[in-house]
Amino acid sequence: MPTAGAPSVKPCAAPRYGAARIHLGGAMTTVLFIPGLVCDDFVWQAAIDRLGDLPHAVADISAQDSITGMARDLLARHAGRLILVGHSLGGRVAMEMARQAHGRIAGLALLNTGIHPVRAGEDAKRQAMITMGYAQGMAAVAAAWLPGMMNAQTQPDPALMAQLTDMVIRMGPDVHARQLRALLTRPDAGASLAYKGPMLLITGRQDTWSPIAQHEDIRALCPQARLEIIENAGHFAPVEQAETTANLLADWAQGVARADARLDRIPETPLYDRPRSTAGYVLNKMAMGLSTPQGRADFLANEDAYLARFDLSPDQLAAVKSRDWAEMVRLGGNLFYILKLSAVDPTPIREIGAAQAGLSMDTFLDTRLGKVTNG
Amino acid sequence: MAKLIAGIGTSHVPSIAAALDKGMRHSDEWAPFFDGYIPAQNWVAAQKPDIAVVIFNDHGNAFFLDRVPTLALGVAETYAPIDEGWGPRAVPDFAGAADFAWHLADTMVAQHFDPLICRELDVDHGMQVPMELIFGRPKAWPVKVVPILVNTIQYPIPTPQRMWDLGRTLRAAIESYPTDEKIVVLGTGGLSHQLQGARAGYINPAEDRAWIKDIGPNPQRYRDMSREDYIQVFGSEGAELIMWLVMRGCMDARVNTLCRHYFAPASMTGAGMVLLENA
Repeated sequence: MPTAGAPSVKPCAAPRYGAARIHLGGAMTTVLFIPGLVCDDFVWQAAIDRLGDLPHAVADISAQDSITGMARDLLARHAGRLILVGHSLGGRVAMEMARQAHGRIAGLALLNTGIHPVRAGEDAKRQAMITMGYAQGMAAVAAAWLPGMMNAQTQPDPALMAQLTDMVIRMGPDVHARQLRALLTRPDAGASLAYKGPMLLITGRQDTWSPIAQHEDIRALCPQARLEIIENAGHFAPVEQAETTANLLADWAQGVARADARLDRIPETPLYDRPRSTAGYVLNKMAMGLSTPQGRADFLANEDAYLARFDLSPDQLAAVKSRDWAEMVRLGGNLFYILKLSAVDPTPIREIGAAQAGLSMDTFLDTRLGKVTNG
Repeated sequence: MAKLIAGIGTSHVPSIAAALDKGMRHSDEWAPFFDGYIPAQNWVAAQKPDIAVVIFNDHGNAFFLDRVPTLALGVAETYAPIDEGWGPRAVPDFAGAADFAWHLADTMVAQHFDPLICRELDVDHGMQVPMELIFGRPKAWPVKVVPILVNTIQYPIPTPQRMWDLGRTLRAAIESYPTDEKIVVLGTGGLSHQLQGARAGYINPAEDRAWIKDIGPNPQRYRDMSREDYIQVFGSEGAELIMWLVMRGCMDARVNTLCRHYFAPASMTGAGMVLLENA
């Protein structure tokens, strides 16, 4: 019965092996620049110029009056995987985005920012600025506010001060008021900062508003972070030392994007490719050891001794011991191997799924798996 | 000559095995899933096939990451259930159709498919579950088996197009095999699911239903999809569905869909089955 689907005894001719698709992946990672208080794309021009052909966008946080709302709207507006670059208030928004959607954030660069909650006296000072914006105009705000933001050890560049003043005036008193209210109702970023991906911290040596110590506080929570101090810069490092800051950001973002293109070509989907298989080889080998009765007995008799047989990294060891499934996967674990841990420490697969999705079990079942459908 | 009597596509979710082992076959949760297989079981039992070729992926049980065969072919006399972490399951060993398997090895290599040839191999739920779904839990399996294992875990995994072509080679092997044995081909895995990453728990019942409906009469769309497309549409582990293309590629262009079934979620997976006969 020769039909189109019938076999040929000849070798398959000209197979269509999808060779045109060199990369498995689709959308590129986007660098999203998030400006600070009454700032816009002006502060990011030097960095954008250095990015090359990396997709990028500048965030608009002018319409919301809460950091959680700004983060939510940006996540909705900018699709796919994101490398976030946030300055000052923008840094806080970036951290909140990482809290809301850690799986989409390929990297986090935080400049001249902090994680501390609202401080005593902060409310009155900021309310006074809101009033000034409406009563005396934004030029008065710029004159009162900007000088304290700059490196105090040198005279500020008059041309730069004029451009910054123009920007503050351009943003207007309503945006100013909304963004200050957002700062006054900010979430406790320190309590929720658990980002584990690539992180770059940048601040100015002379930033007295967000000093180096605040960035060291962030690094204490995220030890993978790299901290760079820009000399001769205050709170406006991206424009005070535009070239140095832009070079740091562009080099870092390009590295993150390259790694991300390799690792995460489909959002939130860690394909088990060479880098992951290499990173996770020992972790998976440890788990594979549990596929024999002897391995399981050894693990159950003395978990530490069993784990010590394998050259696990400190991160991998901690993730295994705390049964942190998302972290094990991030560190190269593949579910088909690490699932064998649930043979010695029973854990339902749906619980492992919910942990990786960052959802409660109920939300996970409702929003992911849905109602039973049959027939 | 040997005769291809049917192509079957089916899920191989491990929770199906766990449900059977825990005696939950007739539970409220699982009965609708298992009942959906009864017509196919009856049809196959009436046809009395001699050999089942089962295409599946090992799930980190027979093969570790130290050596990952893109394609492996069992030529063993017998296959035992493997210890996946909970001890080997109490299902009978599978008798191998070693003669046909070696003939298939010859045919594959002649047609430029070069598998790892396995003389000793234990098999995991990827093969056990489809056999249980189609043949029940007999004391001894009524067919001999030939396992074909496809790497769907570590990238690069093979392309959907290559899987289709492997199906055509399998058909050539069947049609050139000088016995009158009756052969069924089981393409297994899927349907939509994702176990890893923040997208874990992703399923796509609408696309699953389209697959079940169209894989028989309209497979072209699925032949044209890239691996990336499979992952996008069916989830990272849902890409196992490329193994159904071996089964579909093995069949004629025109087929009749005799049975179909869909159920979701089975644990974290869209689960289903089709039974195809050449038209």
